[in-house]
Amino acid sequence: MAKQMLIDATRGKRTDKAPWVPYAGCNCAYLIKERTDRYFKDADLLAKGVVEAARTYHADGIPLLFDLSVEAESVGCELEYWEDNVPSVRIHPCETETPDELGLGMFTKSSGRWPVIFEAAAKAKPQLDEMDCAMLGLVTGPLTLASHLAGVRIFTAVKKKKEFAHAVIEYAGRLCAESVRFYAEMGCDIIAIVDPVSSQIRPETFQEFVTPNCREAVQAIHDAGKTSTFFICGDCTKVIEEVCQVGTHGFAIDEQLNMNFIRDIALKYNKGFGGNLKLTLALSLGLLSPREDALVSLAAGGTKGYTFAPG
Amino acid sequence: MSDKIRIDVLTLDSVQCAACGYMMESIAALPEDVQEVIDYTEWSIKTKEGIGMFTYLKGKVLPTICIEEDLVFQSMIPQYEELIDALAERAGSDELRDRILSLRDEGFDFDNIKQNLDKAGSGKKTRMDI
Repeated sequence: MAKQMLIDATRGKRTDKAPWVPYAGCNCAYLIKERTDRYFKDADLLAKGVVEAARTYHADGIPLLFDLSVEAESVGCELEYWEDNVPSVRIHPCETETPDELGLGMFTKSSGRWPVIFEAAAKAKPQLDEMDCAMLGLVTGPLTLASHLAGVRIFTAVKKKKEFAHAVIEYAGRLCAESVRFYAEMGCDIIAIVDPVSSQIRPETFQEFVTPNCREAVQAIHDAGKTSTFFICGDCTKVIEEVCQVGTHGFAIDEQLNMNFIRDIALKYNKGFGGNLKLTLALSLGLLSPREDALVSLAAGGTKGYTFAPG
Repeated sequence: MSDKIRIDVLTLDSVQCAACGYMMESIAALPEDVQEVIDYTEWSIKTKEGIGMFTYLKGKVLPTICIEEDLVFQSMIPQYEELIDALAERAGSDELRDRILSLRDEGFDFDNIKQNLDKAGSGKKTRMDI
């Protein structure tokens, strides 16, 4: 395992070979034969699962926790926990009122599941360090967090109720930055802003709402001396230039994009880039050979700034 | 054509994937008067049935909202009015089209969101090993 190699790749540098990051989330629970509704609430299980996943997959880096409901839950969004999936946000507090009007404040280390995550990090970090495996902190990005706060109405508001949309997404951006500070304090080597729904909007909406509301979080990552990246999912072709300009050292995309296209964009902007082993077609469904698919990704990605990872 | 408008949402899994989740929610949060004239199902590509539907509808990307078998919103979460207009355009009768367009100013309604998502099969049947 090689933590520094992953940090270098994420920063767009050349490496001896492509480092490898399995984005194990629920799979960590599966590896230790636990239900996810227990796993995501228990510090011992979280630490055990993430260390087991790092060991099983010989990872160069691994997320401490892949759960985009943490920040939302810690400011009062009601979650539904599943036995075999990540928690999902079911109640969105910002129906018509902004977070300020509702009196929603900043979460603290004692809010929601933050105490559990701090405890899990303290247990997992020394074990991951011993394996020379980087610990990644995954922060919910501003638009995804705003969607949790306001529901799907946020996608109409960005056009029709801009003042409301700005208020919600700016608040989400502040939560995102605080979350960064927490993960930095836990000792995460790389911190990712994970904003999957930002692939589902137009480029001008991304520029107006996502880019500015990532700034504080990106600055917080860099102020802490950490390495930054931006994870997006879906077909993000239309906003990929905006992703490269969000200010992070690198970015990662999902299986729907062509790796040659992504490599060329990343090289143009001198960014690290990660992806895109086909999670669905190869790993889940077996419609493609995971081995052949991995070879295609590795050949396309090369060794300048590339991290091999599921997409 | 049925007197209801058929909607199929192609997803990875609306619980696991936030983009898929809010695509699905855009349908489940349509107001009650619209709910009465639509039938909808989530098709997770993690199942054989979902793969079958993705192939049948000639899906290109996930998530996608298909209305009356047209790929209408592909990796683009719709605004409320865009959704209403797309439904009205594919209504089977002038009466249904006018009824839908009369709801253009209603906006999303989250009162029955959980029941509506359950009805569409969201978060269910996403595994093949059980």
